[in-house]
Amino acid sequence: MNKRVLAGILSMVMASGMSAVPALADDAGQELDVAVNAEVKTLVPWAASESQAFLVMNQAQEGLFRMDADNVPQPALCDKYEVSDDKLTYTFHLRDGIKWSNGEPITAQDFVYAWLKQMSADATNGYSFLMTDYIVGGQEYNEGSGSEDKVEVKAVDDKTLQVKLKNPTPYFLGLTTMSMFFPVNQKFCEAQGDQFDVTPDNMLFSGPYKITEYDPAVGATFVKNDQYWDADNVAIENAKVRVMKDSAAALNAYKAGELSQVEITGTDVAANKDNPEFSQLTDFRTNYLQFNLTDPVMSNVDMRKAISLAIDRKTLVDSILADGSAAGTGLIADGMAGDGSKTFRELNGDVSPYDPEKAKECYDKAVKELGSDAPKEVTLLIGDDSVMKTVATFIQSQLEQNLGLSVKIDTKTMQGRGEQMDANNYQFGFTAWGADYDDAMTYLDLWTNGTPYRGNYKNDDYNKLIADAKSQTDDKARLQDMLDAEKLLVETDAVVAPIYHRGHAVLTKSNLKDLVSHPIGVPMEFKYAHFE
Amino acid sequence: MARYIVKRLIYIVVTLWVITTCTFFLMKKLPGTPFDPERFASMPQAQQEKVLEMYGLNDPVPVQYVKYLGNMLRGDLGTSFTYVNQPVTGIITSRLGPSFLIGAQAVLIGLAIGLILGILAAWHHNSGIDAITMIIAVLGVSVPNFVMAALLQYFVGLKWGILPIGFWTNWKCSILPTIALSFSATAMVARFMRTEMLDVLNQDYIVTAKAKGLSQMRILMFHAIRNSIIPVVTILGPIVINLMTGSLAVESVYSIPGIGSLFVDCIKGNDYPVIMGITVFYASFYMLVILLVDIIYSLIDPRIRLSKEQED
Repeated sequence: MNKRVLAGILSMVMASGMSAVPALADDAGQELDVAVNAEVKTLVPWAASESQAFLVMNQAQEGLFRMDADNVPQPALCDKYEVSDDKLTYTFHLRDGIKWSNGEPITAQDFVYAWLKQMSADATNGYSFLMTDYIVGGQEYNEGSGSEDKVEVKAVDDKTLQVKLKNPTPYFLGLTTMSMFFPVNQKFCEAQGDQFDVTPDNMLFSGPYKITEYDPAVGATFVKNDQYWDADNVAIENAKVRVMKDSAAALNAYKAGELSQVEITGTDVAANKDNPEFSQLTDFRTNYLQFNLTDPVMSNVDMRKAISLAIDRKTLVDSILADGSAAGTGLIADGMAGDGSKTFRELNGDVSPYDPEKAKECYDKAVKELGSDAPKEVTLLIGDDSVMKTVATFIQSQLEQNLGLSVKIDTKTMQGRGEQMDANNYQFGFTAWGADYDDAMTYLDLWTNGTPYRGNYKNDDYNKLIADAKSQTDDKARLQDMLDAEKLLVETDAVVAPIYHRGHAVLTKSNLKDLVSHPIGVPMEFKYAHFE
Repeated sequence: MARYIVKRLIYIVVTLWVITTCTFFLMKKLPGTPFDPERFASMPQAQQEKVLEMYGLNDPVPVQYVKYLGNMLRGDLGTSFTYVNQPVTGIITSRLGPSFLIGAQAVLIGLAIGLILGILAAWHHNSGIDAITMIIAVLGVSVPNFVMAALLQYFVGLKWGILPIGFWTNWKCSILPTIALSFSATAMVARFMRTEMLDVLNQDYIVTAKAKGLSQMRILMFHAIRNSIIPVVTILGPIVINLMTGSLAVESVYSIPGIGSLFVDCIKGNDYPVIMGITVFYASFYMLVILLVDIIYSLIDPRIRLSKEQED
């Protein structure tokens, strides 16, 4: 009897094994499905602060410009624009016949409404600075001292939007591709009250797709928006953004044909390097060590230089991270805009090199200078994240090996780490900054205010370079200021030690073409994608 | 009985108040704010204040506490910080559905298979069935559910393509997570049932029953099972609570919008209203299930009295 039961079970298992033909439906290629690894918590433009939300919004909405495959902003809802000679006044002419998904025309007032909202105190996403740093009157309005009508974003008429900037800003068009700059229909928004953008029924769309289903924990479902001005050039009818927190599960879903593209990490990257579906991209994001200049040990510039020189970044990205990340040869990420023909990185070279001999020299010098203050051990503050821990352990071994300096790793929650740095309670911390726009200023501007989070760095020369760059109308002189500023910050003063620029590796179904990913801001474009 | 239940309900309310209070003040000690620290730091003072005011965070903590308690009594658990403009009650109820369905199915399967295995194993003590049951029991307890979930997903979902590998679109999607979750329950129930049955089968009254010439079936159904099931009811409470309050691991493997992941997310994101809401919900659920188990207890075992008065 028992034997018979066993045999029965076995045969069942085998039979099901036989019928195990991978199920790939013929029309699996028709829908574009991508996964995000965290929830899409909100789609309210002035509240959303996470890339998952930016990804969803970018398919359903559109700004004055949209990034193309080469990260160059191309006219979208506007088709012509003029810049004044002092490079301060931008006049945008909206395209004819652009409509919201309910058929109402999209007007210049819709932009004014959205931009003012983002600059008002209602904005909780923390991105108001993307407007208030540039637009005349924005700062005052944001801080509560100015008024709405003093903000220089004006609808000249239904089709013309005029913006006055405080300083020449060569990357302003790039900013307008971001979700905070998308238009909002005031009448519709106010009619929805606090339910605006909470469910698809409370949303209006200006972009290539409409959202038909949305659940923060599940994701969003899209169909092509027929009211979109360029609908003829949108090839894919249906798309989904799916929330999948488990990366192994996402890879299974990709293999089962449920996803068109999947991000892979860890050992899967090495295992798929030769897969024709494999590709990788380095983000405009820098993970770096921030030294606290008020700490007795880290106030010594040679100590900081020694630590930076002692870390072999190439080994870290090639053998340990192996996920498409690039060695941190500077604060400004690889591929970010330079003079048009060369990138910023190419122009400024390697400002944070690996040189163990020089590191040891600097270290010995620092120990001599510090005298009795010379440390037996230094404490590295990091956040509770597996990649951060891996990198911290690597740094620990490098400093021990190349300098003979032992490192204690202090792990806190991400929030806790941030708070401890704000409270000036650290020696050096591991942190990261992702570019908000494709220009070196997005990084360099951070070290002008001398806060504890930025290591209490106060250098008048540095501030002068930044201030000068901001007011320059000559692009070349402006770039030179920024190149010098990076050198001063990273090489001369060694306030930060760039470690790596985060990359990511993906597998994409071979019949899916032109699914564009950007290394900053707006992460992905469904608009140009098509199946073969 | 009614008196007893009322008394217990009063205890529940008091306990709930203590839990709410403790959680509220502990939660305020969590490092960080609900806002991204760098983004928040970049806001001008006026805007920071306005944001804090909007979320009621600029009041002193005791004031916030009194306000929260007042709203809670009116059934208002507030609005989430991170799920903008979405009421906490709505978020929790929408997340409960999947977790409850999977949990309830897992409890039923675990109970059914566990009981059958346990009974068979004890009845055929030291036989092949007994050995198989014990192997299942040891595996079920020692293999974590996320491993089970990943294996099932890989083989049943991907390799054999029998069931969806994940997502939450129709009932079929709930089958694999249910199986993954039910393993530990099956194992626990089977072990308990087997041990108790063996104990009961050696009791004098079973010998008496056999001597009286009762049929095997009758002895099993009316004497052995009824008496050995009581300890199983005891572990049923924790099993129900464990399975029905959502599992972070199983939910993330199968991409299910359940409450287990919500709980972890809201703590990570310092989403105070959601943390409080889930705490209140978990605590009430826990206490109600325990009360229910106690009531079932007295129904199946007349020797257990719920209150002293009934003893007189």
